Amino acid sequence: MHGLTTSLFSGLTTASLLFLVASGLTLIFGALRIINVAHGSLYMYGAFLVSSLVAASAGINVPASWMFWLALIVAPLLVAVLGGLMEVLVLRWLYRRNHLLQLLATFALFYILAGTGLLIWGGQYRSVPLPPVLQGHFMLTGGAAFPIYDGFVMAVALAVGLSMWWLLQRTQLGWRIRAAIEDPEMLAATGTNVRALFTGVFTLGALLAGIAGAIVGPTQSITPGLDAQILVSAFIVAVIGGLGSVAGAALGALIIGLFETAGVLWAPNFESAFIYVAMILVLAIRPWGLLGVAES
Amino acid sequence: MMRAGDALRRWGVPVTLATALAVFAVFGVYLSPRWLFFLQTVFVLGLFAVATNLLVGYGGLVSFGQASFYGLGAYVLALGWLHYKAPFVLLFVLAPVFGAVAALVVGALALRARHLYFALLTLAFSQLFFTIANQWYGFTSGANGVFGAMVPRVLAAPRVGYWFILAVSFVSIFLLWLVKISPFGLTLQAIRENRKRAEAIGVDVYRHQLYAFVIAGAFAALAGALFVVHDQSAYPGLLDWTKSGEPILMAMIGGLDHFLGPLVGAAVFQFAHDYLLKHTHAWELVLGLVLLAIVLFAPDGLLGVLSWRNRASSGSVRVRLARILGAAAEEDGRDHK
Repeated sequence: MHGLTTSLFSGLTTASLLFLVASGLTLIFGALRIINVAHGSLYMYGAFLVSSLVAASAGINVPASWMFWLALIVAPLLVAVLGGLMEVLVLRWLYRRNHLLQLLATFALFYILAGTGLLIWGGQYRSVPLPPVLQGHFMLTGGAAFPIYDGFVMAVALAVGLSMWWLLQRTQLGWRIRAAIEDPEMLAATGTNVRALFTGVFTLGALLAGIAGAIVGPTQSITPGLDAQILVSAFIVAVIGGLGSVAGAALGALIIGLFETAGVLWAPNFESAFIYVAMILVLAIRPWGLLGVAES
Repeated sequence: MMRAGDALRRWGVPVTLATALAVFAVFGVYLSPRWLFFLQTVFVLGLFAVATNLLVGYGGLVSFGQASFYGLGAYVLALGWLHYKAPFVLLFVLAPVFGAVAALVVGALALRARHLYFALLTLAFSQLFFTIANQWYGFTSGANGVFGAMVPRVLAAPRVGYWFILAVSFVSIFLLWLVKISPFGLTLQAIRENRKRAEAIGVDVYRHQLYAFVIAGAFAALAGALFVVHDQSAYPGLLDWTKSGEPILMAMIGGLDHFLGPLVGAAVFQFAHDYLLKHTHAWELVLGLVLLAIVLFAPDGLLGVLSWRNRASSGSVRVRLARILGAAAEEDGRDHK
C-alpha cells in the first residue's frame, strides 16, 4: 500500500514537470503553427543556468540556498529572453514558408543550443543541492513518505497552470492569444499586432520550459542530452492532449505521468513502448487529441 | 541551347552516377584505409538520404521516422547472424524486404494523417522501434547493441567492402532515379504540387504515397544493411529520432530539388562531422549554424546555389525574391487550407 501511494505521488510529480514543458510546446504550436524542436533545449538551459548560478554563489559569498531561490526566478527569465531572440532572429522570417523549413529551422536551433551548451557547460554531470527548507519528507497517514521537494514541484506546476488559465481566459492578452490560435488572419484584421503577439507567445512558451528546467535541477543529474529526452515526452503529452490545448497538455501530462509510474511498477522494461503505442493510437484515431479541436 | 539543356536534364543523373562509380572504383585501388572508411560512410548515408528524399523532396512527405527502417535493415543482419546463424547473402536480401513490410504497416497508418501529424506519427513509430531495440535485452542485446563477425571475411576487408558498398549504393540510387522519372514518380510530384488537382483527375493519392513510403523504407533498410557491412554492428542509436533527422538535413544541405543533392549533402555532412570532431567539440554548433543559414538564405541547398539554371533565372535579386515569395505564398495556401 505504501508503495502504491508513493508511486502515485511520484507519478504526479512527473506529470507536473511534463505539464510545464508540454504546455509551452502546445501554446507555441497553437498560435504559431510551429513544432519547436528546440523546446527541450530551452528546458535544458533552465536546468544548466540554475546549476551555474548556484555554483557561482560560493564565489560571491552568497549562501547557496538563497542563490537557489534567486536562480529559480532568474534562470527562467533568461531562458524566456533566449526564446524571444529565437523568434525575432529566426522564426519570424519563416512564417510564410512551408512547414519543412520551419521544422528544420527549429532543428537547427536544437543543434546550435546543444553545441553552445556543450561549449559553456561541458559534458560532465552537474547537480544542484537542495536548500535545507525543501529537504526531507512529508509523512503521510499510513507511514508512506513523500519528498517535500516533490510537493514543491507540484505546487509550482499548479500555480503556473492556474496563472495560465487566468491569463488565457480572463485577460485581454489571453483573449488575443486564443484568437490567434483560432484565426490569425481575422485577428490581424481587427488591428492586433500579430507579429508582436507571436513574439510574446514564443517568449511565454520558452518561460514555461525554463521554469520546468529550473525546478527539475535538484531532482536529477543535469547533462547534455536532457534536451532530446524531454522533447519526445513533451511531444507525446501535447499530442495526446491535443496540440494547441493547454488544458489538454494538463490532461496528457497526468495520463503519461501516471502511466509511466504504473509502467515502472508493473512492466519495467516496456513502459515507454506503451506510451508510444498510446501516442500512435491517438494520432491514428483522433489526430487532434483528447481536448484539441479538429482542423477543417 | 535548349537541346543541350534537355539532354542534361534527362541524362545528367545517370551519366554523373556512372562516371562517379567508375572514378570511385579506380580510387579504391589507391586510397588509404582511412579514406576508404570515410567514403563507405558517405555511400551508405548517401543512399539513405536519396531514399528519404524520394519522400521529403519529391513526395512532399516529411517523415521523421526513416531511421526506423535504416536501423531495421541493420538489425536484420545482426540478429539473423546472432540468433539463427543465417547466411549473409540471405539476410542481405531479406533486409530490404523487412524494410518494405515495416514501411507498409507504418505508412498505412501514418499516411492517414497530414503534414505535421504525419511527421509526428512517423516520429512515434521510430521511437517505438528505438524502445524495442533498446529494452528487449534478451533478443536485441539492448543498449549494448550487437557486434561481431556478422559479415563474410571477404567483405570485411576494407577495400572489397568499399567496392561492394560503392556498387550496391550506386545501383540503388540509379534504381531510385528510375522511380523518380517513371510515370509513378511524376504522379508523386504532381501530388506534392497540388493534391486536390491530382485527386480531381482521378489519382489515388493515398496509394501512391504509400508505395513511395514502401520504396523509401526498403532502400533505407538496404542502406542499414550496408551500414553493417561497413561497421559490423547494429545498436539502438541507429533508430534514434535525431538519426531520422540526419537524412533530411543531408538532403537539405545538398538540395531537395536535385536528385543527387542528398548524396552531395551526405558527403559534406560526413566530412564536416569527421573533420570538425577531430578539431573542435563544437560540431553540433557548426552543423546547426550551417543548417540555419541554408534554411534562411539558400533553401535550394548547395546544388541549388551552384546550378546554372538558377544563375540564369536570378538575373536580378528582385525577380528571384518575387519567385521565392510567390512560391511561399502558394505553399502557404497548400499547407494551411
